[in-house]
Order: sequence, then C-alpha cells, then structure tokens
Amino acid sequence: MKLYEYEGLDIFEEFGIPVPRLGVAESTEDALLIAGEIGYPVVLKAQVLVGGRGLAGGVKTAETPEELEEISGTLLNSEIKGLPVHKLMVCEKADILNELYMGITVDGFSGKPVVVVSTEGGVNIEETARTSPDKIASFYCDPAFGFYPYQARMLLRRLGLSERLLTLFADVLVRLYRVFSQFEALIAEINPLVVLKTGYQGGLLAVDSVIEVDNSALSRIKRPLPELTERIENPLERKGREIGVTYVDLGGDIGIISSGAGLGMATMDIIGERLRPANFLETGGGITEELLYKCMELVTMKADLRAIFINIYGGINPIHEGARGVVRYIKEHKVKLPIVAKALGNHQEETWEIFREGGVHVVTEAPTEKAVDRLYELVGDE
Amino acid sequence: MSILIDDQTRVIVQGITGKIGSIQTRWMLEYGTKVVGGVTPGKGGSTVEDLPVFDSVEEAVEETGANASVFFVPAAFVLDAFYETVDAGIKLIVVVPEHIPVHDIMKIRAYALANEAMALGPTTPGILVPGKGKMGIMPGSLFAPGRVGIISRSGTLSYEFAGILSEKKIGQSAVVGMGADPVVLTNLPDILRLFEADAETDAVIIVGEVGGMQEEKAADFIANGMIKPVAAYIAGRITPQGKRMGHAGAIVRGSAGTVEGKCEALRTAGAAILKSPIEVLDWAAKNDIH
Repeated sequence: MKLYEYEGLDIFEEFGIPVPRLGVAESTEDALLIAGEIGYPVVLKAQVLVGGRGLAGGVKTAETPEELEEISGTLLNSEIKGLPVHKLMVCEKADILNELYMGITVDGFSGKPVVVVSTEGGVNIEETARTSPDKIASFYCDPAFGFYPYQARMLLRRLGLSERLLTLFADVLVRLYRVFSQFEALIAEINPLVVLKTGYQGGLLAVDSVIEVDNSALSRIKRPLPELTERIENPLERKGREIGVTYVDLGGDIGIISSGAGLGMATMDIIGERLRPANFLETGGGITEELLYKCMELVTMKADLRAIFINIYGGINPIHEGARGVVRYIKEHKVKLPIVAKALGNHQEETWEIFREGGVHVVTEAPTEKAVDRLYELVGDE
Repeated sequence: MSILIDDQTRVIVQGITGKIGSIQTRWMLEYGTKVVGGVTPGKGGSTVEDLPVFDSVEEAVEETGANASVFFVPAAFVLDAFYETVDAGIKLIVVVPEHIPVHDIMKIRAYALANEAMALGPTTPGILVPGKGKMGIMPGSLFAPGRVGIISRSGTLSYEFAGILSEKKIGQSAVVGMGADPVVLTNLPDILRLFEADAETDAVIIVGEVGGMQEEKAADFIANGMIKPVAAYIAGRITPQGKRMGHAGAIVRGSAGTVEGKCEALRTAGAAILKSPIEVLDWAAKNDIH
C-alpha cells in the first residue's frame, strides 16, 4: 500500500527526520488557514499516489493568499496522471542550497534491501543515474544484519561527502532504514532531501516522502494505517480487493477470470491478439464456490461485456467448487453472455460436468489458444 | 538422476494437518512421492494418511530420516518454520504459501544461502519429476515423463506448458516452480544450471513474466556457455503499466523488466522466443524433441 506524502512525512518526523511545517487541506478555505499559520510563501502539493507529480504540474508555490486561492482552485479536483486530487499538502517553502537523494528498496534478484544515495537529487534523478553514474552510490544490505551508521558513512564517502554533511546525511539515512524496516516497506525514499541555505534543525530537510508498505505485512504493522481498500480509486478494483482477488480494469469487452497471475497475463496476451480484454482478474490459490460466485458478480459489473473467458487449473484450487459458484451465478442472474471455460487438473471431469450443465462452453485441451479460438467463434469481431 | 527429487528423497509435510496440507499429502503419495511424515506443532502423535505427525522438524528427521520438506504453513509462521527446518539439517525446502511478507523472505533467503539449503518459492507449485514424485501442488495428470525441463515463475502457466507438451506426447524431465514473488529463494539461473548439468534433460523451457531481472540474468547464464537449447515465453505483453512511485528501483535496475527487454536479452543469448505458449510445439519439432 502506498502512503501519501503527508503520511510519510508524519512518519519521518516520528523517526527523527527533519520535515517542513505542513498541513493537509481538502478545500481552499483549509489551505488558506494552514498557509496563514505557516506564513507565506508556501508550497502546495497535490496528494496523489504516483511518481512524476512535479513534472505533471502538481507542485506550485504561492507567494500570497490570492495566488494560493487560484492554485488551490485549479489543483483540487483536477487529475494528475489520471488520478483525482482530493487533498493538498500545504508546507513551508524551504530555502534550498542543493538537493540530495536517498532511497531504499527491495532488490528482487539479490533478495536484499538496496540503499541508493545521490548528491544530485530532484526530479531528474533517473536521468542522472543514466548520464552520471558517478553521482550515484548504492549498497546491498544483509537483511538479517541491518544497516548501521558506519555503513552509511562508508557509502556517502564514495560520493565525496565529508565532515558535517556526511554525518547529517548518514544520520537521516539510518533513520530512513528504520522506517523501511519497521513499516516493512517495498520502498522508502526521500527526494529531495534538501540542504538549507540557513541552518534548520542541523541543515537538512526531507521535503518529500515515498513509502510503499508490503500488503502481505499490513496486518502485523503495529501502527494505525489507513484501510488499503480506501486507497483504490477504481470501484471495480476496490471490490476486487475486498473479495480477495487481483482485478485490473481494462478498456475492452471480454471478461476474464483466471487462477494465477502468470496464466492471467498469458490469457490477456492471447485474447488481446484478436479481441479486447475487459479486465485482468486472478484468484490466487483461494478458490471456493463463494469466491468464483463473487468473481462473476465483479466481472459482470462492467457494462457492454460481450463474453466471459474462464481459465483455471486445479492444483491447489478446488476448481469443481469454483465451477459451482459460476453456475449458481449464471442461474440466479440469468446470464445470457457466452462463457468459455478451460479448466484442467484435479477434479477436472467433475468441473466440466458442472460447467456444461450451466450452459458454459467447456474446452478440455491445454492450449489457451484453442480455447480462445472457441471464444472467437462465439463472439466474432465487434 | 533427475534434478532435486530422486529415489533418495524422503519428504515431510509441514502443516500436514491443515485442510490443504492433508489433501495435498494424499495426492503426493498417490503420485508415488516418498512422503514419510509431517509436522504440525501441537499435533504430534496423530496421523494423517497413515503418516506420523511430529511436533518438531528435528523429531521428524530423527524418526523418519527425512531430507526434504514441503510447506503448507500459514504465511505468518513461515519464517519460524523455515529457520527450524534449516536448523534440523534439511537441505531441500519447498515453500508453497502465498502472501508471505517480503521482509521475511529476504531473511529466509539469506539463511538458506548461508546454510547451503536449496529452497523454492514462495508462492510456488513446487517441483514435479514425472513418474517419480512431486513436492507441492502440481496436478499430476498434466505431466508425462520425458526429457524437457520446465522452469516457471507462474504456477498455473507451468501446468499449461506441461499440458500442451504432454498432449502431444512430449514428456518432461522435471518441472520447477520458481515462485511468483518479487524475491524468490532460488533464482532462475541457478535452476537453469541444474538442468544444464542433468543427464536426463535435453532442452529447457523458461516461462517468465513481466517485471524483475530473473530472465535478464538467465540470458547472461545462457550466453556464458549453456549448451542445451532453451525456449522462453514471457507473459505480460499487454499488462497495463502500474502507477510507479519512487525512483530507487529504476536507478538500480535501469530499463530491465519489460517483456520486450527480456525477449531481446534471451534472443541475443541464443534462446528461442515463443510469442504464444502453443508455439512450444513448433520449437520442439524443430529441435527434434520428443
């Protein structure tokens, strides 16, 4: 689950990382009040859970209340990279000497946390990584050992830092690692970490935060966190999360239910050759009669659907139970759409029988391509 | 001698008394796997499928001579169970459960590497050696004995490929589920290495997907002198781009992770690229694989 910038900055403050004075506004009136307390100029930052916000026009400075009203009016309820802006963060404008970068993420291949630092922070950090790799240093941590101040100092020395800036930077970096570790983050990042012209709590200030918490760890993080489902803007995707499946809303008109993400992606790819998938849906290993009933409910919520394609395997999943849920939904809701199901593995014969009895077109061969041929025969071109 | 599972493999099932653990135990036995017992703390002394259940892995090893373990342990208990299993001296561990926190998996991986234990998963269907045995949840009916190795990041896609091949009487030497999580316990090149060295394998199929660097690293391995023919399929061509936050991943990985990038790396290394799973049959015919 991704956290909003202001939520991350609250956590940073709690962990002893210096952050600007800030408030969160859902209306221009609120924004004016907060800015009045902080004092102008202030920075207004759209709170959206996507990167590249600054370049997309989501960060503006207001020198006066009039300017604030204008900016706030434009930003609130606008969209940044397709996401609606419900909240603005209002914060003091830092007097910036230069911008640094620090981020910690999970490196998949090594299976280790990787700490990345740079003396050239800001919106162009990825460009810097390509063009001036010498401005970037990284360190792969031993996940059982942790990350210590001496390691932070050794890493920062490679960037040519020394003396007071080295120790200040190292201190913030170790605190960020603590955030990464205690919040079981997939990523924890400060970009930029600014060096102030005038001293401020020791000279550094985190003016932005990126934190994404591992969804599998949410239940054991001993701090109040928002409900994950509230974070999901798309109502169908939110419902998917509520019933315990991964659903992605796509533009097309062929509904898909699959067991397993890889199979689901392959199914989309194959269908996408000739037809347009309406969604991606994968159940994981938790199929029950009830779950597939709810999957049918979810997939058919999409208007203008032309057919449903089911691709499931009985390994860990009791697909015969799932088939009962699909057929119960078809009967209760008098579904007239053509439905093609390929179901193989444990209990396959029983599954086929249940599907056939419910009017589902059953494919008993392994290649998904052949099942999609059958689908294509039924729906043709648009 | 097949990879990972052979005549000497004696398997215990951790979480054997659970609903999934017990039914999968029956299916592993029916497939011919030498399952010798199970572990569920607090249920020692009972039996499942006529197999003894123990309170600890240490006891199970002492009493049964087990040298391999398959996990059906709830995600929250996997870290503890894994350390216990490694400490009991078991060298092959299959971690089936999904939704295990990645910070746990990073620790587990480091512990396995430090103690020279081989582990697969998490979120893996396990491993199946057709006609010999299986550790995990792969449905035996889809597999047939033969000489093609399959490595898959996705569980159900490994069944798809095995099913397509088996229907045309092209058997498999072993099918290995790597696990679908961002961090896995054994990486793709390490499994490729096992197949390359295996006398019962003539060719290998890699079933990958969008994201991560596994396929790019596999391409490096192939380019560095792998002799057996390799075919690769990468799922996720039309997956919508996730709304990415932060830069650290992109800085470390550069442009790695796209389907195009993976296909290009593998093709350059000499692997055959399958645009769709069914093309595996053409590849098999062309390479004279039966």
